[in-house]
Amino acid sequence: MKRATLAVVILLALFALPMVASGYILYLANLLMVFVVLSLGLNILIGETGQFGLAHAAFYGIGIYTAVLLNNATGAPVLVTLLAGASLAALIGLVLGAISLRMRDIYLALSTFAFGEAVRWVFASWTPVTGGPNGLRINPSNLFGFKLVTDRDAYLLVLVVTLAFLLLTIQITRSRLGSAFRAVRESEIAAAAMGVNVRGVKIAAFALSAFYAGAAGGLFTTFSSFIHPESLGFMTTIMVLTMIVVGGLGSVVGAVGGALILGLFSELLRQLLSFQEIIYGAILMLCMMYAPRGLMGLLERKQAGR
Amino acid sequence: MTWELFLLFFQQSLMSGLVTGSIYALLALAMVMIFNTTDVPNFGQGEIFMVASYIALVLLVFASVPYLVMIPLTLAAVFFGGAIFQRLVLKRVALARGASVNLVIATLGLSYFLKGVMRQTGIAEVPRSFPALFPTDSVSIGMATATVQDFAILGLALAAMAAFFLFFHFTRTGRAMRAVGMNPRAAILVGVDIERMRWLVWGLSSAIAALAGILISPKLLMTADMGIVVILGFAAAIVGGFTSLPGAVVGGFVIGIVENMVGLFVSSKAIVVAPFLAIMLVLLLRPQGLLGGKATAKKV
Amino acid sequence: MKIGTYIQSALVVTAAALLLSGAAGAQEPGLSKDSIKIGLFGPMSGKALAYGEDPLNAAKMWYDRINKQGGIWGRKIELVQEDDRCAANDVVAAVKKLVEQDKVFMLNGGSCSTATVAAQEYVLRNKVPFVMLNASGDSALYPPTDYIFGAISISQRAVGGTMIDFATRSLKVKKLGYLNHDDAYGAWNLEAAQFMAKEQGATLIVESVNPDITDITAPILKLKASGAEALLVTAYARPATLAIKKAHELGWKTPIVIAVNGIANLVQMVENVGTKEAFKNLYIQELLADVPGGPKLQWVYDMYKTAYPELAKTPDHPSPYMPYGLASAMVVTHALNLAGPQPTREGVAWVLRNLKFESGVMAGPIEFGDNDRAGQESAIFLKFEGEKGVLQPGVYSNKWKYKG
Repeated sequence: MKRATLAVVILLALFALPMVASGYILYLANLLMVFVVLSLGLNILIGETGQFGLAHAAFYGIGIYTAVLLNNATGAPVLVTLLAGASLAALIGLVLGAISLRMRDIYLALSTFAFGEAVRWVFASWTPVTGGPNGLRINPSNLFGFKLVTDRDAYLLVLVVTLAFLLLTIQITRSRLGSAFRAVRESEIAAAAMGVNVRGVKIAAFALSAFYAGAAGGLFTTFSSFIHPESLGFMTTIMVLTMIVVGGLGSVVGAVGGALILGLFSELLRQLLSFQEIIYGAILMLCMMYAPRGLMGLLERKQAGR
Repeated sequence: MTWELFLLFFQQSLMSGLVTGSIYALLALAMVMIFNTTDVPNFGQGEIFMVASYIALVLLVFASVPYLVMIPLTLAAVFFGGAIFQRLVLKRVALARGASVNLVIATLGLSYFLKGVMRQTGIAEVPRSFPALFPTDSVSIGMATATVQDFAILGLALAAMAAFFLFFHFTRTGRAMRAVGMNPRAAILVGVDIERMRWLVWGLSSAIAALAGILISPKLLMTADMGIVVILGFAAAIVGGFTSLPGAVVGGFVIGIVENMVGLFVSSKAIVVAPFLAIMLVLLLRPQGLLGGKATAKKV
Repeated sequence: MKIGTYIQSALVVTAAALLLSGAAGAQEPGLSKDSIKIGLFGPMSGKALAYGEDPLNAAKMWYDRINKQGGIWGRKIELVQEDDRCAANDVVAAVKKLVEQDKVFMLNGGSCSTATVAAQEYVLRNKVPFVMLNASGDSALYPPTDYIFGAISISQRAVGGTMIDFATRSLKVKKLGYLNHDDAYGAWNLEAAQFMAKEQGATLIVESVNPDITDITAPILKLKASGAEALLVTAYARPATLAIKKAHELGWKTPIVIAVNGIANLVQMVENVGTKEAFKNLYIQELLADVPGGPKLQWVYDMYKTAYPELAKTPDHPSPYMPYGLASAMVVTHALNLAGPQPTREGVAWVLRNLKFESGVMAGPIEFGDNDRAGQESAIFLKFEGEKGVLQPGVYSNKWKYKG
């Protein structure tokens, strides 16, 4: 009961936010929600299925560039551009997943890392299409004929889509597919013995995770006016990975909490100037030393202790 | 392209590739050692390499310590730094939860931490270097050109690799380390002190990275972000098979030569992406790397 | 110290601004009876710290001085500072915070071109006058807009153009090897370089490298093998130093010209190369009004020492980019002065579009105008043999113009 009330209060607060917050706060909120969707996606692949794919930023970028190019060229409705970006990302994720089937663990991590860097290089070098190193301007998105110009305009859309992805994620984790993901994570042999199609499940996890990343990219284009390949490198993947680990690997709430907390933290740290790298590094180490299961682990421990 | 130009480019890419490749090989060696005994791809490797180079600079230039004293001092300092990090941080992380991803994130934390600390010192804002131990006069071999310093880098790196090979095969500690890498449970059963092995490996691996730093800094120039070179060490390790020490060495040379060949025969713009293409190509054709054994079920 | 203003134009501008400001009426953001808020931002952490730290310090010390002299039209300048990390998302966050949370009157900031450009649409939409710190920011300058002003040090187009102008006119070389970055920076200076080369009847052989390159053998060997008669380098300090070293190692004795992008610390550069032999035939581009350490700029360095006595004692301070920040802050205070006692954002933007003054800091005048939002577009060149720069005759210019 208490949980339900809390959820309703949070939801109301989220929907009411634009009435009280400045454009700057709404920009932060939008950006944080993009990171929430990115985290949810990476959590499916790494947290739920145990497959260390490290090309998340590449799929995010594919989502961004697809949505932008489609929007700039045709002015298609935002849901179309968003879905197009997410679908293309999912398709490429499917192919990468299929290719990576023979690889495991460290090899999988490293080859997807290499794939991610190669894709970033394509973004930076394919000048006629992506604008290359000059970056690319993003025209305002079109929502039922209404132009999304400011952060305020885009906020409700970003919020609704993020909530939709959150619900979808909860549904997936509770579904048979979700159990299959976790079975593969625990033991591929046991999963196969239980009749799980291990190859199919792995490919599905790759495609689904890429779909989330692509959609996050589409969301980014609704409130941003510029994209540059510099922000689509390995460091972005690592940032999302850090979010889900600090939040608690394999937990939906953890992925959301990790994204929100680290995202906010990064913004607050800007005031600390040159100390911020030291502090960020120290936090990562301390977190891993004393909160190894992330925030979720801490919460559970607290509840169990009561 | 004329035949003569082709020959020039070919010879030069082999020459330069071997020299820079030897540094990638050292970094790859350091990485593979740690991965073999502790299952962690060390994301802090590049920053250990960076800090070591600055320690060398401070000793040599600011404190005027002679070269032959500076080298052991730097290696020792970095050895203990690496060992202390393992004892203080990683051991605790491993105890808290065995999952390797936690260890990886802890090494990532180390990398941010060291970079931030180095920026605080204020000496890392301008690219720096220290005088090379060997002259930088040019020497020609065939059509290719290199400096005496280049040959020294290659020679010393090869000597270090040989020393490690001997260490791993002919000393008790070295063999124990390999045993921990192959089968930790069996190693414990035969009485190997696995905890001691782990910090020793971290120390040794950090010292190798430090050696790479001392050798290459006069050639590469130092900045707080020089640790990025370690990506090429990563690439070398993967190409070589990630669990194989000789593979790491071969991988280093392969990456060095591929970089130069791509630069000379394809485009300078493609140099950065060449290592990643090499990784993908090798993993597609031979997932266990050039010299890696059968891919085993190791968790990241 | 003398800051030459063009009194006549100033009067005209002031009169026009008064008219404009009278029309606006409503209270402008960031403005009170005795203060005016300016949002100052740049990298104060991370990888790009070295590019922003001292330009920011220099801007601050200029604003301080103006405040000590009584401010502008009786208003003290109130600075609100933000770290932009030189990353696109952070620049946008910083700018939005300054405009919406802190409600600053105008913006002064940005040291990294591509990241700074990310804020362009937002700034234009909100019609906030924005003067870049030391970013060249070419893609926010071309096509010209009503509110964004940059290249107070120099535009990248002008870097490339003046390099070619110097090489063809002063060195009399027609076959030029050109080493630039493979990023936006490199693309911008190459565009003007290619234009100028065509103009002067020279051929350009281009190698573009990643600024993080470790082994620079391939591009330098290719340029040497192409028979280029000079090596022009527009890369950052580290790759530029590697290029000088490599050319020397390969026994390539051609003249080398290093653009301002690559000059972080000349003493250190010689040390890094390891031998003065490599500097036998080397030229460097300079944007300041005088050679480094020259008497015309002494006041700038004295001012820095007084403002930051502790920092001035640490190595590498002030950085060679420091005076650019001063020039940038001068642009802001000049514009505010000319905009009259009741400034509006529109009025200040109008003043900026018509601003021209001698900063006494930079090589050429700082001048905007129709279709021109790049402040400074001239360069001088020094012959540098490893000890002291010897000024070469002439000021070099860029004939590339934006067509659109």
